Amino acid sequence: MVGRRNSGIGGGGRPGTWGARLLAVAFWLAAWQLLAWAVDSRIVLVGPLEVLARLGSLVVTAGFWASVATSLGRIGLGFLGGVACGLVLAALAARSRVVRALLAPLMGALKAVPVASFVILVLLWVSSRELSVVIAWIMALPIVYTNVLEGIEQTDAGLLEMAEVFGIGALERARMVYLSQVLPYFRAAVSLALGLSWKAGIAAEVIGLPDLTVGEHLYDAKVYLDTPGLFAWTVAIVVVSVALEALVSRGLDAALARWEARP
Amino acid sequence: MSCLELRDVTKRYDGLMVLSRASARLEEGRAHVVMGPSGAGKTTLLRLLAGLEEPDAGEVVRPAGLRLAMTFQEDRLLENLTATANIRLPHGRLRGRELASFLELERAALLAAGLPVDARPVRELSGGQRRRVAILRCVLADADALLFDEPLKGMDEKTVRQVMGYVLPRLEGRTVLWVTHDERERDLFDDPVLWTVRGGCVRRAPM
Repeated sequence: MVGRRNSGIGGGGRPGTWGARLLAVAFWLAAWQLLAWAVDSRIVLVGPLEVLARLGSLVVTAGFWASVATSLGRIGLGFLGGVACGLVLAALAARSRVVRALLAPLMGALKAVPVASFVILVLLWVSSRELSVVIAWIMALPIVYTNVLEGIEQTDAGLLEMAEVFGIGALERARMVYLSQVLPYFRAAVSLALGLSWKAGIAAEVIGLPDLTVGEHLYDAKVYLDTPGLFAWTVAIVVVSVALEALVSRGLDAALARWEARP
Repeated sequence: MSCLELRDVTKRYDGLMVLSRASARLEEGRAHVVMGPSGAGKTTLLRLLAGLEEPDAGEVVRPAGLRLAMTFQEDRLLENLTATANIRLPHGRLRGRELASFLELERAALLAAGLPVDARPVRELSGGQRRRVAILRCVLADADALLFDEPLKGMDEKTVRQVMGYVLPRLEGRTVLWVTHDERERDLFDDPVLWTVRGGCVRRAPM
């Protein structure tokens, strides 16, 4: 009964956790609004109420959803490509020391080079339309590669011995023994790479300015000193990022639970 | 007829002699009980026969195409899979009627061994339950020779009776190598071939 009284909101989380989180968010929203009133300049700072109103006016337009869909589609394509390449390359690297040695500096560079440098470089090679695809691919690839390779390397040697004694074939060994060991690493990698790909992809759009994308609208808002628009698009980016991560995480967890529970 | 054989096998770990010119011929289709004190080299003997270790000298003879199954000292289960998925692992990817039929066999085996039939991954089972899953995986494998490394260690008498009530009829006519240091386990089998491992030597013991 105590837990129910404290929880405030149903669903997951410890009793009181959600209530405390909402209170903290409400506190900062109130502080933001107060600061906006104190500054009293729509160009420098707008309050959350005005941002919400602007977002409300945006979401009822077809252009908003078309832009979100375009950005999401391109970044999603690059992300999926990065995940697929990361998986294949990790599998190859786990089998061959030469492949691993060859890939090590490449993956190191992909992780170390700033996103802005990649954006400018890639713009020399591809059109602005494909820029966010390539940048999302660059973001996802090394994360998935590193995590999956780590998962393969951490595979219990005792399980591999067991598979050898029982004469379990290579395909079944990969499907059952390696997959069951790698899945937690893969899940963590996808979750991390998704957020990074989305944010870096939007940053690439702001620099490359492909037509009718979230990045272009963000840039336009900055150029025309449309601060409410700038905030509204930023909130939209955050909301999409959080929703995507929740959706993919839940999807992966559900798939994992189904895989684990099958007879 | 011999199924597995050690010929003058010597095995050392970090210079420490574990087996010294050990020889043993395992008759096909019989139960072989290997006894000896802890650290005598019983597990090394099993690992050599299973092909998991190479001898420093001598030869391990395994007929081509011989199918093996084994319980290790550890359970070596896939933690996030169900008991049935673990037991089915050596059978590859079964589908349709084959899968339904094997699932029925697995469920009967689990119930006979006092294990729950549910969708829980084995990581949620107790140590004793996991051990029984490992034993069933070995027994239900399509194997010609079954190697058991102290499978009943730590199991209470009642559970031993329950598990062996299911396992023993399924070992009849198969080549079984049963490693233990518990003399009572020798009496589980009718007319087993007894072996002792001691001081690096493997000897066939008189009945």
